[in-house]
Amino acid sequence: MTVVPVVYTKGQYNHLIARTLQDLGAESKLLPAGTSVAQLKALKADALVMGGGPQRVRSIADLTPELSSAAQLIKEVELPLLCICVTHQLMATVYGGVTGAAPKPEFGPVKISVAEEDTILRGTGPSFTAWESHNDEVVKVPQGFRVLASSENCSIQAMRHEKQNLFGVQFHPEVSHTTRGTDVFKNFLQSVRK
Amino acid sequence: MAAQVTGFRPSSFLEAQTSRLRELSEGKKALAAISGGVDSTISALLARQALGERVIPVLIDTGFMREDEPEKVRDKLASPPLELKIRIVRSAGRFLKAVADEPLAEEKRKKFREIFYQVLKEEADKFGCEYLVQGTIAPDWIETQGGIKTQHNVLEQVGINPHTRYGFKLLEPLSELYKDQVRSLAKYLAVPNEFSERQPFPGPGLLVRCIGEVKKSKLETLKRATSIVEDRLGAVGSNQYFAAIIENKFADEPSPKTLRKVAADALDLPEEEVRAEAFLDRVTGVKGDERSYGRLASIALRNETREAFGWLHDKLNILQSSVVESFKEITRVAMLVKDRRGEGQYSILIRAVSTRDYMTASVTPISWKTLKDTAEDVLKSSERIGRVYYDITPKPPATIEFE
Repeated sequence: MTVVPVVYTKGQYNHLIARTLQDLGAESKLLPAGTSVAQLKALKADALVMGGGPQRVRSIADLTPELSSAAQLIKEVELPLLCICVTHQLMATVYGGVTGAAPKPEFGPVKISVAEEDTILRGTGPSFTAWESHNDEVVKVPQGFRVLASSENCSIQAMRHEKQNLFGVQFHPEVSHTTRGTDVFKNFLQSVRK
Repeated sequence: MAAQVTGFRPSSFLEAQTSRLRELSEGKKALAAISGGVDSTISALLARQALGERVIPVLIDTGFMREDEPEKVRDKLASPPLELKIRIVRSAGRFLKAVADEPLAEEKRKKFREIFYQVLKEEADKFGCEYLVQGTIAPDWIETQGGIKTQHNVLEQVGINPHTRYGFKLLEPLSELYKDQVRSLAKYLAVPNEFSERQPFPGPGLLVRCIGEVKKSKLETLKRATSIVEDRLGAVGSNQYFAAIIENKFADEPSPKTLRKVAADALDLPEEEVRAEAFLDRVTGVKGDERSYGRLASIALRNETREAFGWLHDKLNILQSSVVESFKEITRVAMLVKDRRGEGQYSILIRAVSTRDYMTASVTPISWKTLKDTAEDVLKSSERIGRVYYDITPKPPATIEFE
């Protein structure tokens, strides 16, 4: 069985991520943000997902304790990694991108336009409805990453690392109202199993 | 939305939980708190399966339940096939006294929680129970831990030790499940539909639908409106549908003028077609994973426009998202369905949502005729009611309940 734990960053939907992965046949549970790479190894993790949370990511020097641990993990982990909402912003910032206040925040249903049906977005184009809940967004994508999708109010809805299996999405694929959300996780698991 | 629960298997869950409950309870007695909803009923049934006669089921009549609800629940649970005999603990006076003069949602919820567990402690002591079985599910502790709202049935997950504070330990067999998973468990246990499919009703009940301060007359008015709305909307296929009550008092900020402009722009209507204001009493929402205790915007279109508008859901969604994105202090938007001359003291808010797991929720599209007929009946039910609205906000940025 594919083992894909979820890092708990105090978001409302973190627990739903584990449920979605379980529904897709993976073994999943929530782990505290302070989990180390060695502990992930002991759990025989095949991949890792990080969820959302209410925190702000304005600079790496000024993070809440759990995001600070999550940032450490993003830097050190060598597993395929999917980061959602606030940890998507965190991953972008850790890799040298910029997170800032969204000129127009998004709450509830949003139309996602898929620019590239790469890996996690395979089969989801040209667009789908996703649910969001964010005041901040990634305003500059880090070097070595490319943008996979956007919305009217937010130009970086999904991104991936050019060479490694590192993915970030601003929207919430784990909530049942996101029409192609399950596909995002299916695709992610597929890339892990390869 | 098709309920997909391939990862959850009722048979293996049941087996694991009954042996876990047996082990945890160490042969001691357990009180089971039941409201009549699917979560607490299934928890009690699981406990009975594991502990047999050592389970003492009780229902606390908080005074905030619906018309004749405690008696109806008791009678239905007592009859076959469930044959679960529960005692009703009458405590309405204590609850009402504890929340009197308290307008703030979180304070009301915390005061309710305190009386709730005090009463349970007294019952547990009376019957020599060392454990309490309750129907807490995943969204309850997630929302409480995340500071969105204090659910009445969450203690350990927010650092309250039930043993030192109330003298019992907790058994929460469903704490990792979502509502649709509990329902599939209920079906597996052959629990009648009226329990397995019953729409959720919050533990603090009408207390959190009586927005702001609770008064006896306000509560009575809401009880009647609740019966009408549940009766009228039962067939529209919504997962949760109910009424709330709010006083017709309005805030200065945001100014009705700026609010009107944003609303008219979003709807592509001339400004004189639109009336807009924000209610004074605050309502609960969730923006960016954070609690947002803000205002409820009231949007009214001129009579003829309202009819012609036909309740186009795409338009209403643009309206609510424009208003909520433009004003930080606004968390929810309601559209006027019907009002009457000579303004009553209160407004009734109709809420109906579609959802699988209650973590996100969309507004159920209800036909204009159904809304209008429901509003007319509600207006007829009490002279205190001057207006009837439909809440057009999804979760997020709203929550399902108003407080």
